[in-house]
Amino acid sequence: MNLFLQTLLNGLLQSGLYALVASGLALAVGVLGIVNFAHGEYLMIGAFLAWAASTYLGLDPLLALPLVAAAVFAVGALTYRVSIRHVLLAPELNQMLLTFGLGILLQNLALMLLGGNTRTVSTPYQASSLQLGSLSIGGPKAIAFGLAALILGALYTVLYRTSLGRQMRAVAQNRRGAQLIGIHVDRVYLIAFSVSCGLAAVAGVLVSVLLFASPTVGLVFALKAFAIIVMAGLGNLTGVLWASVLLGVAEALVQTYVPGGGGWSDAVFFLMIFGTLVVRSFRGAR
Amino acid sequence: MKTLLMTVGLLALSSAGAVKVGVLLPLSGASSVTGQAARNGYQLALDEINKAGGVLGKPLELAISDDGSSPAKAVPEFVKLVTVDKVDFMAGGVSSATSIAISGPAKQYNTFMAWIGAAAVPVEDAFADDKYFFHYHPWAYYNFDAILSYFRYLKTYKGAKSIAIAYEDGPFGSAGIDATVAAFKKAGFNVVLTEKFKTGSGNFGPLVSKAKAANPDILYWIGYDTDALPLATEVKQQNLKLGLLYGTPPSWPVGFEKNPLADNVAGLSLWLPSSPQAESRKFVAAYKAKYGTVTDEYFAPLAYVNLKTLAAAINRAGSTDKDAVAAELAKTNVPTPFGPLTFSKSNKTQYQGFKAGNWLHFQFQGDARVPVFPIKFAQKPMVYNK
Repeated sequence: MNLFLQTLLNGLLQSGLYALVASGLALAVGVLGIVNFAHGEYLMIGAFLAWAASTYLGLDPLLALPLVAAAVFAVGALTYRVSIRHVLLAPELNQMLLTFGLGILLQNLALMLLGGNTRTVSTPYQASSLQLGSLSIGGPKAIAFGLAALILGALYTVLYRTSLGRQMRAVAQNRRGAQLIGIHVDRVYLIAFSVSCGLAAVAGVLVSVLLFASPTVGLVFALKAFAIIVMAGLGNLTGVLWASVLLGVAEALVQTYVPGGGGWSDAVFFLMIFGTLVVRSFRGAR
Repeated sequence: MKTLLMTVGLLALSSAGAVKVGVLLPLSGASSVTGQAARNGYQLALDEINKAGGVLGKPLELAISDDGSSPAKAVPEFVKLVTVDKVDFMAGGVSSATSIAISGPAKQYNTFMAWIGAAAVPVEDAFADDKYFFHYHPWAYYNFDAILSYFRYLKTYKGAKSIAIAYEDGPFGSAGIDATVAAFKKAGFNVVLTEKFKTGSGNFGPLVSKAKAANPDILYWIGYDTDALPLATEVKQQNLKLGLLYGTPPSWPVGFEKNPLADNVAGLSLWLPSSPQAESRKFVAAYKAKYGTVTDEYFAPLAYVNLKTLAAAINRAGSTDKDAVAAELAKTNVPTPFGPLTFSKSNKTQYQGFKAGNWLHFQFQGDARVPVFPIKFAQKPMVYNK
């Protein structure tokens, strides 16, 4: 029973990190209609910036979080201006090729500039945990979960309670209609894409504390974020948290209870994408 | 202009016929720490060789390629070195997966290989009885012999009885895992958990929960540097009480020793900068003079020894004839930072350099890797917490 409860807890805590990564991706997909295959690379930039702030400035990664998020927000804005805005009306395949290429470019730039070494930070709370009887709640993962809930809540509030949010939803629903009623569509896209990159960086900061910074660290999380937004429904922010919990818990159950489950954990999200698409197509067929 | 042309001409003439060694290393990707350490070792050896007159009277040339820690990239890089760059000999090689991948082209081109890494037995199978394959790094079963001898010591003197094994699901972690479990059992250990993981995923929560339920004395993990900190973190967070957390990654993350979570984590190395051999002290001094720092990665001195012994064999052979060089390299008997190097048969290959007796076990203690076993080399007592 104890192992089962700890497994559920492990999955729940892991889902916080997944939700953090997926929330930014869901925003970009929801508002711009672009699947950003470079999303994991913005996470990687965030992880490296957090590592650099900790190593060279002696700043705790969590304290550096606003700075890192702002820096990657700016990188996102630049990316939007230089590349993304030019393909918004292009066929989806071209958009995918662009973001995929962008991801490869950023990853290889990181390899060239920083090498392939794994870099770690050291914080006093890295191994902290709350013990509830024999159950353990890891500190940094709990922070990631709390941050994810907070960010998703804040995003939801912005989207449904503010003027900017209304503009974003209007643009997402009908770009031309939004333009006709005087919404500055390009500016809305710029903000949405930059916020999406900033959110990836927030996840990157947590990844630097929980795991490490390396040029390829974003890939695993980006793949899982794709699975989550497919499960939640493209652009559905409210569904992201539940889909993340489902993925995190499913992975933990497979890792704990399926023989050799550690080797199968990466298949879980593929199975979930497959299952979701099958169910959706079945519903659509009816 | 005339002078410039003459200089270029002379340089071209002087390099004509120079011995060229191709070096295939993972300078990026999962094994890059190891690859970069090895590259430094090769460049240091190259400086010394050329300063001492080069090879066959000409400066030795190195053509270093990055295999990206990926078999898919290693094959074309290897073929390019052999067919386009026309290297006389191949050196390097770290990962088992890339070494298996290039075994086909190596046979196709009848390549002479002085290989430093690739410990997995499938590599030994791939190069079995190859007359041009010289393997410097001990094979996995030699590594395991060394680990078993340390764990036996822990059993006798520290009361360690049970082992949990966490292994990555690629060739590095998985090859021979059944034999590993069987050998632990034969040695009288209770193997309470054998669990796969995806390297780099960082998700060790469920694995550590299972280990906690199994309550092992030793957690033995076989993975890469990316797994070290997430695993150590999870062990601490879930309060898993262990006698020893023991890992065998090819390299450890940069700065891992400075993280308090590294304290008392133990591992295996062929060499440490504090190794007492005279050759080791000479290597450390030369390395420090060239790079201004000291490395903990044993692939740096291993690459250094690899190129120095290959160059010496070519010089003794008096030509680049592969059979002549193989015959001379086979006679190698030199002191190295790891102890004396000679080649003898392994289970399947003709020329095996270092074996089980060359391994050291260390523990991260106070920001450093401290040798703790064999006891005659121990610089501090090991910390066994259970």
